[in-house]
Amino acid sequence: MNNYTESKIYTVSKINKYIKKLFENDFNLQDIWILGEISNFKLHSSGHMYFVLKDKESQIRCVMFRGNNCILRFMPGDGMKVKARGDVSVYDKRGEYQLYVREIIEAGKGELYLAFERLKAKLKDEGLFSEEIKKKLPLIPQNIAVITSPTGAAIRDVITISLRRFPNLSILVVPSLVQGTFAAQEIAKKIDFLNKYFKDLDFIIIGRGGGSLEELWAFNEEILARSIYNSKIPIVSAVGHETDFTISDFVADLRSPTPSAAAEMTIPDKNNLINNLSVLKSKITRAVKRNLELKTENLYSVSRSLKYQGPENKINQYYQYIDEFSARLNSRIMHQVELYEERIKKDSQRLDSLSPWAVIERGYSICRKIPGKEIIKRLNQIEVGTKIEVIISDGKILSKVEKKEAVSN
Amino acid sequence: MKNKKKNEDVPFEEYLRKLEKIVNQLEEGELTLDESVKIYEEGMNISKICLEKLNKTKKKIEQLVIEGEEKYSTKPFSEKKGEDTVNDS
Repeated sequence: MNNYTESKIYTVSKINKYIKKLFENDFNLQDIWILGEISNFKLHSSGHMYFVLKDKESQIRCVMFRGNNCILRFMPGDGMKVKARGDVSVYDKRGEYQLYVREIIEAGKGELYLAFERLKAKLKDEGLFSEEIKKKLPLIPQNIAVITSPTGAAIRDVITISLRRFPNLSILVVPSLVQGTFAAQEIAKKIDFLNKYFKDLDFIIIGRGGGSLEELWAFNEEILARSIYNSKIPIVSAVGHETDFTISDFVADLRSPTPSAAAEMTIPDKNNLINNLSVLKSKITRAVKRNLELKTENLYSVSRSLKYQGPENKINQYYQYIDEFSARLNSRIMHQVELYEERIKKDSQRLDSLSPWAVIERGYSICRKIPGKEIIKRLNQIEVGTKIEVIISDGKILSKVEKKEAVSN
Repeated sequence: MKNKKKNEDVPFEEYLRKLEKIVNQLEEGELTLDESVKIYEEGMNISKICLEKLNKTKKKIEQLVIEGEEKYSTKPFSEKKGEDTVNDS
């Protein structure tokens, strides 16, 4: 802004936005490393980290958002010397500039860290870490080897825990340097040696207790990584404490966070196994017993039903059948007889009502010619003088025809 | 005999799987008497083999001593109390 634009008025946000743009367009402020000491470190509940980087004369505000700080290999804290990588820009709400941190490494470890990252990327590209090539460890290891310092806590832990879990185990301790310039080479050589002369080993544990990045460095070297990769015997990597990851961990067939954990993970609990076995065994026995009982039960029920179908029983059944049948027959016949009786009674009543005697009773009579007993229904059947009988209800009257006289309708 | 040669090479976990299969077959209860007796004997035999496998190894803690490119020996491992530093090669 110069004298000629005095009349030009900015709003606060406008000027801050303008300044922010200046920062962001300056490549000297983008993707830079800043060396300093962490101070006033705060991890907000949102997961973002706020702190100040300072040296003797000056300081700069820093923010590291959760998305970036979740990949940190350590927890930053006040007083730590670090290199922070990021962009310097403006937080326009407050008009303050700050470093937007994407990555932090502990100062002094920078070279090693970068070497680690480079080797990791390279070996990963070559496929040394791929899951498909990882060998499976046997459930019941019998011969194992441990390449480590023979005087360290690591070997003591591995032996104690392994024997506690599986008391009759054969452990071959293979002493080796585990830190210093020659350590990686020596461990690698011993892996090769075991592959040559101890082909029967179920697996090899390589490892050591925790330490600084430098102390663990042997396990980040390429020569050891290649030896692990080439080993026919499965390799268990057991380096340092939980949070330390080494190249060996990535190449090994199994990674365990500590030597003790390696023993816990690879050596089965013998008592458990024996328990499982006896559970299976009693399950089998129980199942067979139940099968037998079922079969016996079946046999009984079959033989019972066979007995029901035997000849003796058949005859008895026939008897019973006959009895039942005859009883049924009897009742049928009786019923029929009753029916007939009923019918006969009815019929005879009807017969009665049709009988000529019933008519005669009411006052009618029947005339018959004496010779021939022909019933006289028409005049032409008789002559004057024909002898006839007249039948009435209690007898008959003998008479002679005196006269024929037709009735005209 | 096929079996004798096999026992050594068959891993423990395979025997465990076989045992579990036998349990299932028996529990389904659809086998004939002959079959279930046969399979029962097989199961008992397998669990015996498993136990043998568990007890086969002897406890042995040894230390490897490399004496040259192709020469080595072993000696009993004795725990020396020490710091987590290295003074051995």
